[in-house]
Amino acid sequence: MALAIAFSFPAAAADPNVCAACHGERGNSTNPAVPSIAGQPTQFISTALYMFREGYRKDAQMTPMAAQLSNAELNELAAYFSKQPLVPPRHQASADNAKSGPELAKKFNCTQCHGPQLLGLQQMPRLAGQQLEYLRAQLRAFKSGKRADLDGNMTAAAQALGDRDIDILADYIAGLAQQ
Amino acid sequence: MNRIFIAAAIAAAFVVPAFAQDKPAASPPPSWQQGKPQGMSESTLHPFAIEVTGKAAKDLPINKLKVPSGFKVEVWAEGMPGARTMAQGDKGTVFVGTRQLKEVYAVVDRGGKREVKTVLKGLDAPNGLVFNKGTLFVAERGRITRYDGIENQLDNPPQAKVIVDNLDPNNQPGHFWKFLALGPDGKLYFNIGAPGNIVMPTYMEASIMRVDMKGTLETVAQGVRNSVGMDFHPKTKELWFTNHARDWLSDDLPNDTLHRVSRKGMHFGYPYCHQGDTPDPEFGKHRSCKEFAPPALKLGAHIAPIGMRFYSGKMFPAEYQGNIFIAMRGSWNRTVKQGYNVMRVVLDDNGKVTKYEPFLTGFLLDEKADPPMWGRPNDVMVMKDGSMLVSDDQNGIIYRISTAK
Repeated sequence: MALAIAFSFPAAAADPNVCAACHGERGNSTNPAVPSIAGQPTQFISTALYMFREGYRKDAQMTPMAAQLSNAELNELAAYFSKQPLVPPRHQASADNAKSGPELAKKFNCTQCHGPQLLGLQQMPRLAGQQLEYLRAQLRAFKSGKRADLDGNMTAAAQALGDRDIDILADYIAGLAQQ
Repeated sequence: MNRIFIAAAIAAAFVVPAFAQDKPAASPPPSWQQGKPQGMSESTLHPFAIEVTGKAAKDLPINKLKVPSGFKVEVWAEGMPGARTMAQGDKGTVFVGTRQLKEVYAVVDRGGKREVKTVLKGLDAPNGLVFNKGTLFVAERGRITRYDGIENQLDNPPQAKVIVDNLDPNNQPGHFWKFLALGPDGKLYFNIGAPGNIVMPTYMEASIMRVDMKGTLETVAQGVRNSVGMDFHPKTKELWFTNHARDWLSDDLPNDTLHRVSRKGMHFGYPYCHQGDTPDPEFGKHRSCKEFAPPALKLGAHIAPIGMRFYSGKMFPAEYQGNIFIAMRGSWNRTVKQGYNVMRVVLDDNGKVTKYEPFLTGFLLDEKADPPMWGRPNDVMVMKDGSMLVSDDQNGIIYRISTAK
C-alpha cells in the first residue's frame, strides 16, 4: 500500500499501515463496528487519539495503540488520515429513515455542531457515511455515560435521544453520501 | 461549607433554561448555551477547542505576527499543549499552567535553547500561577496550593501543600478556573467566576477574592462575571483586572471590560448591569446601573481579555512604562470575530485611559471564518530581562517580544 506522506518516525509507532488492519485501507473501514477515519477533520483525529492515550476514552484495541504515541506522532497520523479520500458509503438507509432522519438531526442539534451535511469540522467528527453499528454504539455510549467527550457537549446532546431515535439516526447517517 | 452548598442549590434554581427546543426538560443544554434566547436558537456560534496535542510552529504562519516598529516577535518555546498562564522563577524557569488540561510545564533556557518539561500533572485546571521567593503557588478549580523549592527539584517536585480548598464544592461547570496574582499585602488574589453565563451567583461567586498564607479568605470585589487576568499598578498598588461579559445578548453588547479597584466593597454590576451602563434584560429589571461601579475601559464585545500585566521591565522604551498589556483570546459568540491579539492600554498619572491600541496582531486570518484564527494569545508575562512572553493555548506555543537590535 502506497503511503501519501513520508513519515519521519521509524516503522511501528506512527505507521498508518498499523491502523489499516482494523480501520481499513487508507482509513476506509469495511467493518460495521469499526469507524472509518479517512477524511476526518485533523483536529478530530488528534483529539480522539489523545483521549485514548490519556484515558478519557477506553477501548481494548485503541488504548494500547495510542499508549506509546507522542503528540507529534498523533499529529502526523491525524494529518495523514485527514487527507485520505472517503469511499462513498455502501449502506442504504430505509426509505422511512431517510425521510425522518434529517428532521431528527436538526431536532437533536446534530447539525448545529457537526455541520448542516454532518461533515464535521475542527474537533467534531464527520458523521455522514460512518459505519452503522459504530454510530449506534457511540450514541448509546454517550447517552449512558459510558463514553464522554472532553467538554460534555455530546453527553448533554445524547440525553434527549430515545432508543428509536438512535436507530433512525444511525441508519440515516450511515447512508449519507458526502456532498 | 453547608451554606455554600445550599446557596449554590438555590442559585441553580434561578437558572432559566432559555434554550428553546422541543426536547424533554430533563436534558440541559451544554453550559455554553445557557442564556441563549429563543430568537438565537438557529445560531451556529460555538466555542473553539484547543489542539490538545499542540501544534508545531513549523506548521503555522508565524511570519504573519506583527509588532510595532522597533520590536520583534519570535517563537520562544513550543510543545506545551494548552499553555496559558506564565510565572517566572527566581532562577529564570518559566512555569506555564493550563486550563483545559491537567499539566503545569516548566521551561528552562539552556544557553538559548528552551527545554520543556511537564513538572506537575493530574491537577484540576491549574490555570493560576504565582512564583514568589522560591515557591510556586498554583490555583486549580477547587484549591490553591504551594510547591516550596520547586525550581531546584523540577524532575522530582515537592508535594503540594494546601493553602485553601473547597473553592468548588459542587464540582460544577462554570467559571471556576482561576487566575492568581500576588498582592502588595503578600496575599494571593484570584477570581471565582459566575457558575454560568447569566445566572444569579452566590455571595462567593462572580467575585475577586484574596487569601493569606494561613488560608483566610476575604472578598475584594463583587459583581465580576469572570476575571482571568489581574495585576497591581506599579505605583498606586491598586488592583486592576479584566472581565468577560455575558454571551448571547448581541454581537456588540455587552463589552468585555477593564476594571480598577480603588476601594473596598466595590460591586461591578453582574448579573444586574453590564459594562456599567447596560441593564441585563432579566436581572436588571428592578435595578439601576447607577448602583454599581463602572469599568475603567470598555475593551470590545466578545474579545475575551485574559492575562494582563503592567509593564515595568527595563527593555521597552520609556513610553511603555506603566502601560497595561492585555492578551485578547478572541471571540466565539460574535458573527464577526475580533480580538486574537495583545492590546496596549496607556494610563495617565490619574489612572485615566489615554490610549488603547493593538500591540501584537496577526493571529486573526478571517473574521468571518470558522475558525477565524490560527492562534490565540492567552497570557502576557514580563521576563526579568524586560522582554514579553505571550502564550498561545490554541497551539501550545509561547512567543517572545523584544526590542529589535
